[in-house]
Amino acid sequence: MKLDGSRGAPTREHEFAQAVVAVDYQPVTQDRLHEAEATFAGLARGNDEIADASAYMQARLFQVHFQQPDYQRAAQHYRALADRHPESHWAQLGLVKLGLLLLYALPEPSDPAGRMAAATALLGRIHEEKLQRDLHLQIAHAGTFYEQPLELVLAHLKEVNRIGGLVGQVPEDLAIELGELSLRAGRYAESRAYFEAYLRDFTPNLRSVTVRRRLEDLAELETKAKGGQP
Amino acid sequence: MKKDGKRRLGLVLLVGSYLLAVYWVFTRSAPVVSSRPVTIRIAHWQIEKGPPDGVDAIIKRYEELNPRVKVEQVLVPGRVYNQWMRTNLVGGTGADLIQYGVWLDGLSDIPARYFEPITDEMLKPNPYNKGTALEHVPWVQTFTDGLLNQRVNAPDPGQFYAATLTEVAVRLFCNRELLRTITGSDRTPQTYAELRVVFQQVADYAARTGKPVFTLAGARDNASWLMQFLMQGAMMKSSQRNDRHGTLSLYAYDELGLYLEGRWSYRSPEAKAGLTLMREVSTSMKPGFLQSMRDAATQEFLRGDAVFIFAGTWDGTSIRSAATFPLDVLRFPQLTKADPVMGPYFFGKFADGGGGTTMEFYLNKQSAHPKEAVDFMRFMSSVQGNQLFTDHSGWLPSVREVKVPADIAAYLTPLDCYSFGGEYMMGMGSTTAAAVFRNLYLLTDPRGSVDQFVDAMEAEMPAAVRTDLRKEVTNRAIIVRPQDVRIMALAALSRRGQADGSLTLARERQESSQTQSEALMLQMSRQLDLAGPVK
Repeated sequence: MKLDGSRGAPTREHEFAQAVVAVDYQPVTQDRLHEAEATFAGLARGNDEIADASAYMQARLFQVHFQQPDYQRAAQHYRALADRHPESHWAQLGLVKLGLLLLYALPEPSDPAGRMAAATALLGRIHEEKLQRDLHLQIAHAGTFYEQPLELVLAHLKEVNRIGGLVGQVPEDLAIELGELSLRAGRYAESRAYFEAYLRDFTPNLRSVTVRRRLEDLAELETKAKGGQP
Repeated sequence: MKKDGKRRLGLVLLVGSYLLAVYWVFTRSAPVVSSRPVTIRIAHWQIEKGPPDGVDAIIKRYEELNPRVKVEQVLVPGRVYNQWMRTNLVGGTGADLIQYGVWLDGLSDIPARYFEPITDEMLKPNPYNKGTALEHVPWVQTFTDGLLNQRVNAPDPGQFYAATLTEVAVRLFCNRELLRTITGSDRTPQTYAELRVVFQQVADYAARTGKPVFTLAGARDNASWLMQFLMQGAMMKSSQRNDRHGTLSLYAYDELGLYLEGRWSYRSPEAKAGLTLMREVSTSMKPGFLQSMRDAATQEFLRGDAVFIFAGTWDGTSIRSAATFPLDVLRFPQLTKADPVMGPYFFGKFADGGGGTTMEFYLNKQSAHPKEAVDFMRFMSSVQGNQLFTDHSGWLPSVREVKVPADIAAYLTPLDCYSFGGEYMMGMGSTTAAAVFRNLYLLTDPRGSVDQFVDAMEAEMPAAVRTDLRKEVTNRAIIVRPQDVRIMALAALSRRGQADGSLTLARERQESSQTQSEALMLQMSRQLDLAGPVK
């Protein structure tokens, strides 16, 4: 396939666009993906945004596009890009993706706490706030998945909440997670504030009924914590 | 002379016929070529009495407001809908707006492959709400549930995909005359314990009179809705226990993953309590009901051969219009903590509605007129459009500020019941649902038992769950891969000087929702890896 309107000698941008389109041009074939990878590898040797985007796409091919993903190689490409041009958007986004691989897919670190720590260490290198938010959210979810200490999880969720700007189902889930996990962590005042904010800010639905029930449970727990004094 | 008369008569007839034809062509017939340059098609399977009239009313008004656009309603019977949708989408001949439900068997990849997100549009006010209380409200917030179901079931958690037309619930429709004949009273059962008494009274009446009367009209569809309702309720404490993310709700993929981790099974006491209730209600339906579909149950009820039918409000208009006896619509009598079967596992009233709006329409990626299709979606889910739908269909609205006619007010579900999302039967995935349907006879057959069903299911579940969880991973991959191309395209447009804020925002949203989908893929893959192959 050839992009419409590309005339004259191909520029780096033309080559890049051609390879990007090939990545999802149906029917996708492994041969075409390997050709695209070679193009990205060549372009990545430059020193401009196209080079960074190409290096990022190379990593993406290994992570999600090839029939057999190669997470180790994807991680290598993300790391190399972040070392070379740490402030490039594609390097920053690559660090988020590297975080996901560390949390679930790479063989090392193998223990959940180690995975969480490795992903958390990347946060210091990500300077774009929305990308920080996305990695915070995924570290928090990995934390509940691996049943890590709630204080650790809550710290990440609070950062997500502070940065904001998410759409879809996530904001509503986040509001409830903050309330429920705070309750489980014994942070009753915070839990109450989050649950009440949820009831105030979101369209009522069946989960509102459960949240009201949790507020009743919370009142009982608060009373118990005060030694039975209402 | 005689010959002339005949000729004259023939001529008169000829001229008369010609004039009649001219009159007909100019006054009655539709033009051969539409005067409207754009035609869009909206396809759905709700061919029950009601919805086609509701959609027609919307179309009529929309075409008055938009003379350029012609809208055609495509009615497709449910029995062939899955095949129809798949073949038309593959062939590039699908309608512009298509009804889809996440529970449709074997179609879980469809949204990712063929539907276009409408996130940006959903975050802006609906222009057709101008002059109403919703004028400045983002479209998504104009729905009574904020599009909860669609957000939960979206193939991509950071995107909106569909607009809905109605809210549904499950209700018990009661033949008041038959109830009085059998029980001597008009009083409907208020609790499940009272319903158990009716089960016995009906069985005694049938034995005494020899009439083939049952408490509940039976068919596979109606039974599975009822069983799902009971099972979901029975498993609420289990769902709460397994809610490690603290969302107070489980997604279908959570249920699958939790099963692989050994955190629930049909052998758990809660599940067995739910299955015991399911077996109990199935004995109040005619033998062999699993072989028939919902139309058969409706006919059984309308013939006066069953006191109640447990049905969705989607069957309400058909039942009400065809019933020749006084009809009551009631909520299913709830269990209580004192129940001998369910008591120890009772969390609260089971949700019988209020779970969200539905009859959701998706935008076909291949639509030749996406702008007009989205515009029609906006109109049908505006206050005016949705009021037309409600008034002409007898179905509940999906949009705030729409007035609910008094005769369907009983379909509204107050927020007084609980749901943790997980339903443990047909909604986890198509492979697990097939296993449930394959083995259900072991639970409902007079010679069957809860244990027989449990043994059969536990033999099949390990493989079925793995298959469904793998499908969840695959479906997310279908979403995630093209997003790389879109992200790069949005960045390129910005680079070429079209750096308005909307492009950057669109890229950031794509990146964020892609990351969320990828994380889920990796998490599910890890669950599969840790579980290993079926032993």
